[in-house]
Amino acid sequence: MLNREEWLPLARKLDWDFSYVREDEVFPEVISGRPWLPHSEWKDWEESFKTSYREYVDNQYEKDMAVQAVHDAVGRIENVQKLALPWLNSLKVHAAALPLAEFTGVIGNLRGARFGRDSAWRTMATFGALDEYRHTQIPLLLFHPLLRLDSQFDWAHKFYHTNNWFAVAARHFFDELTVGQNAIEFHIATNVVLETGFTNLQFVGLASLARESSDHMFERMVTSIQTDEARHAQIGHPVLATVMKHDPKYAQYLVDKWFWRNWRLFSILTGLSIDYLTALDQRPYSFKEFMEEWIIDQFLRTLDEFGLQKPWYWNLLLDELDIYHHMIYASAYSYRATLWFNFVIPGPAERKWLRQKYPKYWDDMDAVWEQISERWRTVGPGSANELAVHGTAMPTFCDLCQLPLSAGTPRKNTAKVLVHGGRKYIFCSEPCQWIFLHEPERYANHKDLVKRVLSGEAPAQLPNLLTDYFNLTPDTWGKDAHNGDYEWLGVRKNSAA
Amino acid sequence: MPIPLYGFLQGDTIGLLILAEEAETLQALARKLQAAARLRVEGVEDVRVVYNDKTMDPTLTVAQAGLQALDRFDVLSG
Repeated sequence: MLNREEWLPLARKLDWDFSYVREDEVFPEVISGRPWLPHSEWKDWEESFKTSYREYVDNQYEKDMAVQAVHDAVGRIENVQKLALPWLNSLKVHAAALPLAEFTGVIGNLRGARFGRDSAWRTMATFGALDEYRHTQIPLLLFHPLLRLDSQFDWAHKFYHTNNWFAVAARHFFDELTVGQNAIEFHIATNVVLETGFTNLQFVGLASLARESSDHMFERMVTSIQTDEARHAQIGHPVLATVMKHDPKYAQYLVDKWFWRNWRLFSILTGLSIDYLTALDQRPYSFKEFMEEWIIDQFLRTLDEFGLQKPWYWNLLLDELDIYHHMIYASAYSYRATLWFNFVIPGPAERKWLRQKYPKYWDDMDAVWEQISERWRTVGPGSANELAVHGTAMPTFCDLCQLPLSAGTPRKNTAKVLVHGGRKYIFCSEPCQWIFLHEPERYANHKDLVKRVLSGEAPAQLPNLLTDYFNLTPDTWGKDAHNGDYEWLGVRKNSAA
Repeated sequence: MPIPLYGFLQGDTIGLLILAEEAETLQALARKLQAAARLRVEGVEDVRVVYNDKTMDPTLTVAQAGLQALDRFDVLSG
């Protein structure tokens, strides 16, 4: 009988020469990706952590049992009710954004499982697809039952099926990253950039935030998901190494493009969670500190490892660490009814902390929060006044990332208008325009929300936009978590009544 | 027919869609953007409109200034 070391290579490497069909017909470039190379260039593809199906199933079973045990112990509604209000809303963000995004990862991995260029790669991608099924099911299992606690948790299932502006942006990202992507670009963009660069470390950071917030269920969930990611993220590394060997310019482009695209989404999901939706006394670090310690250093090491250069926009990205997610949060607060979770205004203590952590631009942000606070003082707290402290003009969105035109600083927004093919586009930033111009055929026909409104596809009036197009209701649309009733505002609800 | 424009008010955190009339002055356009962003930015009297990197005469109309659909304009202090 063969031992593991003898039979595993036989099971992993099952490539053969085709006799009645050409290799480029079995692995067409359009779906396997470029550069198209004969299998002889891929035959040494090697994953660093090897596993058999039996080992995989045994490990996953153990991990699922551990999640179930924590769920049984601390995952009940009464446990969730004890969480701090801002953190509960961070959970709603992740409950919506995570599960079906992970499901698109199933599709991407299955494409790798069929069109990856070496059998060992295809075997690992099959495990990757099973991982992503698990990452879809666990958050749905944990979050959707919380619907009994709060109807906003309905968005765990609903989010990606709506035309909510953030869902449009997230779909635009994941459709390109995973659903409609060829195997090579998928594995570089997802495994190397998204997972190695961002989520693998993000989940470590989120687990730590959850622990500080006494949310042991979420902590266990992201830790369990992270262990899968650490394994399947390795698929992309030998793919990138081969592309780097044959077409280094293209490899650099893919890394530059996807680091920027990931940064945009990541800075919102994680930036808001750390700096605004975690109670002040439970924040272990600022988002910028987290990025510098966990993401930036690690990414630079990965670039070095492959002989890649820093992206051309590196200094711009470092500058955005100080401001972008703050611009987004203030904008989103003032359009909170367009989202499915609730917000809090940073009070004097939070603003003091933010000033200390973000001295470069905080004066300008502080002025915005002072103005919003003043509106609450004027109209008085209470749910009836929610929409009196809310934006009314149509917000605007980037034609690449589909996120609000909130880049730059309050003094100088970096949005850029471009005429291309007789049509006018607007981008939040130079890198978003640069990505568009590299692949205009991929992006040019996508309509952002403003153009949908102007063409009559989406309603122009905000109430109709919320209910008819974003699928929100007065119960589920975002509000101030305290309805403006903050002691520090000096106008409490009882005295205002 | 209103002209949709991307308006950016200095001090604000987001660009806003502003529907302009061809015959309205740039001064009125600036006031319109200020009103739309008032929740986040305190209104100030002394502002100027910048279009294509040039400070514009506030008495010009939107049509005279050459603003077209989906152009960007900025309203800056002072």
